[in-house]
Amino acid sequence: MLISDLRKEFYDVILHKHVLLMVAFDVDALCACKILISLFQCDSVHYTLVPVSGQQDLERAFLEHSEQIKHVVLINCGANINLLDVLQPEDDVTFFVCDSHRPIDLVNVYNDTQVKLLLDSTEQLTIPSYEDIFNDEESDSDDSGNESESSQPDKRRRLDEESIVRKLEKKRARRLWEESRQKIIFQYEEFSFYSNSAAYVIYQLAWKLSKDSNDLLWWSIIGLTDQLLSKKIDREKYFLDASELNRHVSRHNRLGQEEDAAQQSVNAMKITFNPELQLALYRHWSLFDSICHSSYTACNLRLWTARGFKKLHEFLADMGMPLTQCKQKFTAMDIAYRETFCDSLQNSGKKYGLDQITVPSFYAQFGYKNKFCAFDAVHAASALLESIEKDKVGDANFLEALDALSRVHLDKLESGLEISKRQHKAIVSQIRTLLDMNHVVSAGPFLYAYIQEGTLDVKFFSKANCLALLARFTLEAFVKMSKSKKVKNLPLVMVAPLDSEQGTSLVVGVPPLMELENSPRSLFGRAFEQTAEKTGSRVLHDSFDPSIFALKTEDRSKFFDALVSLLS
Amino acid sequence: MSNQENRMKSFKNKGRDNQEMRRRRADVSVELRKSRKNDQLLKRRNVTVDNEPTSPLQQQKQPTNQLSTSEIVQGLKTVNFKDTKALFLAVQAIRKLLSRELHPPINEVIDADIIPVLKALLDRNDEPSIQFEAAWALTNIASGTSDQTRTVVNSGAVPEFIKLLSSPHKNVSEQAVWALGNIAGDGPDMRDYVIRNGVIPPLKALIGPDTAATFLRNITWTFSNLCRNKNPSPPAAVAPAVLPTLTDLIYHCDNEVLADACWALSYLTDGTNDRIQQVVAANVIPRLVHLLSCGEVSVMTPSLRALGNIVTGTDEQTQAVVNANALGGFKTLLESKRTNLCKEACWTLSNITAGNVDQIQAVCEASNGKLIEALVTVLQSGEYKCQKEACWAVSNFTTGANVQQIVALVRAGVVPPLCKMLDVKEAKIVMISLDALNNILIAADKLEQKPKITAVIEQIGALDTIEKLQAHTNEEIYQKALHIIDNHFPLEEEEIVEIMPETNQQGNFQLNVAASQPVGGFKF
Repeated sequence: MLISDLRKEFYDVILHKHVLLMVAFDVDALCACKILISLFQCDSVHYTLVPVSGQQDLERAFLEHSEQIKHVVLINCGANINLLDVLQPEDDVTFFVCDSHRPIDLVNVYNDTQVKLLLDSTEQLTIPSYEDIFNDEESDSDDSGNESESSQPDKRRRLDEESIVRKLEKKRARRLWEESRQKIIFQYEEFSFYSNSAAYVIYQLAWKLSKDSNDLLWWSIIGLTDQLLSKKIDREKYFLDASELNRHVSRHNRLGQEEDAAQQSVNAMKITFNPELQLALYRHWSLFDSICHSSYTACNLRLWTARGFKKLHEFLADMGMPLTQCKQKFTAMDIAYRETFCDSLQNSGKKYGLDQITVPSFYAQFGYKNKFCAFDAVHAASALLESIEKDKVGDANFLEALDALSRVHLDKLESGLEISKRQHKAIVSQIRTLLDMNHVVSAGPFLYAYIQEGTLDVKFFSKANCLALLARFTLEAFVKMSKSKKVKNLPLVMVAPLDSEQGTSLVVGVPPLMELENSPRSLFGRAFEQTAEKTGSRVLHDSFDPSIFALKTEDRSKFFDALVSLLS
Repeated sequence: MSNQENRMKSFKNKGRDNQEMRRRRADVSVELRKSRKNDQLLKRRNVTVDNEPTSPLQQQKQPTNQLSTSEIVQGLKTVNFKDTKALFLAVQAIRKLLSRELHPPINEVIDADIIPVLKALLDRNDEPSIQFEAAWALTNIASGTSDQTRTVVNSGAVPEFIKLLSSPHKNVSEQAVWALGNIAGDGPDMRDYVIRNGVIPPLKALIGPDTAATFLRNITWTFSNLCRNKNPSPPAAVAPAVLPTLTDLIYHCDNEVLADACWALSYLTDGTNDRIQQVVAANVIPRLVHLLSCGEVSVMTPSLRALGNIVTGTDEQTQAVVNANALGGFKTLLESKRTNLCKEACWTLSNITAGNVDQIQAVCEASNGKLIEALVTVLQSGEYKCQKEACWAVSNFTTGANVQQIVALVRAGVVPPLCKMLDVKEAKIVMISLDALNNILIAADKLEQKPKITAVIEQIGALDTIEKLQAHTNEEIYQKALHIIDNHFPLEEEEIVEIMPETNQQGNFQLNVAASQPVGGFKF
């Protein structure tokens, strides 16, 4: 059941109840969880927080807690799986699902009692009508056929000839209905995509409860920014939502009123809406490194070629930036350059095909020292979520990342920034290898890249989000380097080793670059499922994103052979 | 030999005696209904109780439908019985009411007290069309609940119907067959009442070389109802009376006739060993085995059920099934997509593997040794219901088998899926899985190959499971788990045990045996 009055139908219901909070491993979910928890703390709602990395985790966690807890909140998980089927809940359990995965499973949509989907009221959903999908009167006619096979009727009524004819007619109508149902469902589920950020949806609830603050707002900004950076939504959608958030920003930060600003303590958080350079982490790195490791600049300047690298130097010269300054830590850069580089970068950028280097974004400032832009916060949090440090299991990473979003744990945020830098370096050097060795190959209907076992930093890519990041970065680089125009319309499938002991690989499919820039949606979810079924490959569809799954490495070749023939 | 005999008893009488099997069979229909309910997932919206969507056909029949039930019933009560034409129309109107597809007004008709009238009309030998309509109406009333059936019987209709079996008019006698079938299907009491009234001889007389297939279907179905139901089973004299007929019918070419005849045999075999012996003596086993691979699920199901019932009997009865090469068709059954077939096939196998060494040998050799591989596949990746039965089959196998046979089973990869069964909730299944593992380990020890098996068990993390089972609330499970650890796993493994759970927690995507079920298993 879809609900849009979150306050009445969700918050008022769980108030004073014990709530099980299950949160997926992504930054948006993390932020939504942050906001919700602070609401819960305001109202002393008793909650149990469980991070869930995949479906198996979800099932396990639910099983563990379902006896005591009857109100379950799922964040960025659950909407696109049939919850009643997967979790087999008792009748008195209610699920509240705030999930940006689309399409929503139809049973979830039409279940009136146990599944409540928290949606932004403005979201436009195209959902097949109930009558087309579910048949209420399936009792007698159809089942008799099946039942007679495993047992025999003990009594039979003799029907009119007319009734028998009518029954046949009904069966035929039903068959037709069944066919059209299959078609409708296929169309509905063909593509997977993302909708409104969960953090934003929950933030709106907080706003309606008059409990929103700059902190909550900042988290919802990070949630939205995560969606942009992980290409879950296109720029247009981002602009719309960001301008919506900007209204909240100005409400909370009353820009331009000097006396107000003076009254506020320096330690209070201020959020500013500002064009931001698409340079990863440059405030915490050197300008040069940041340019080399950001997908926008690296791909557009083709930094993997000698010419591209020369062009970068030319570009910096054009900006009037001395190389020594660029390679300096940003914080140690000469103050004059620090103030002007942004403008000169934009000016020179136009000559070098970097005219879209800025994106409207936000940064938060508190105290004298701390200034973080939303992009960097996302990078840090997602790096922490997928940290590959030894003897840290998933849950610890999750809590670490959750902490990093709080203002009091700046050290954690900073360690996240460091990990993120390592991640970026690993990605860029991996792309260099892939391109140099011609390891990105066209399989016909899609591009295909395989990360070999034993490659440096391969551990990073055993994590879903990081691998997806690599895949998107690789695709963009490949398209920019390629002479063929066709590749812009090809999706990419990337495989990386997941667990060498168990002989498994992680597979991720990313949509074509054309689509990534313009309403991203992926057809890989269904394609992967079908292929696995057809070939009998041993796979594990555990991720909430259907275009990511684990595969037995031995089955790789047969799987991809079948995938090629399915998609061509 | 006497030792052999003892072990036999411990299986077929103690471990899983007829009582238990009976219970498990009763479960089938309940489960079926449950699963059907689950299919309907969404319990919203009530079924709309209205007339069917209009079709051209329905519009045609509108005129007859316009009278209300009470008007039609009154019509029969007030009609002049001398006016045969009017009488016929009145009865037909009732019959039509009762034969519409949705919501036939059975109770209204009963309450209107016209059943005696209808029963009286069965006697109108001068007007067969009226007899036919009345018989049809009563058939449909008897198709309802037990109470509804009883009203028909209480009116004294059964002797009348039996008389009508010999009617020269085929449609009348066919309708009488149908009505008696419904009545006999109500339960043991009604069944025996119909039999006492002498239904069998005239019913048998209806079968001839030129009997129409549709008629024959009704007759066969009625026969099956005469053999059906237990507590008590049909009188001992029934089987000898109907078996010759059924033996002919299972060679008929119509699938529905075949299915019903097989169901009848399955009911007859569902009882004590001497009941089974009656059927075995009728020499139907070869044909049943043949039908087992006919490809028609509606026929395969009851023939498998009948054979499955037979192998619950004595060693000799089981041997009769094995001799007819029934096992040849089992590989296909185990690979069937029909859960029910697969489950019943496993159940049947479990009773064969509970037999003597020769019978187990037959299982080993069936389909060139591929049958046990198929069994292991079911144990590994079948539906839970099937896995359970496969587990029984494996457990029984290991108890009765000699060392070579156990080696064959282990080569088929039984150990990993068997270990997986230790994770299920059902205590009984865990117990028999532990028994099976213990038996395998003992056999391996005799060949001095035990380390290979224990290594496999450790490698897939099952040793931890067994260790944990020592904390099980069920005393027997605790004992068995303890026994395995004490006897087969020497102490120095403790260090490994410590490390295992941690590595298990690490991976988010655990593609281990439990998750992805690698085919083929571990060979040694």
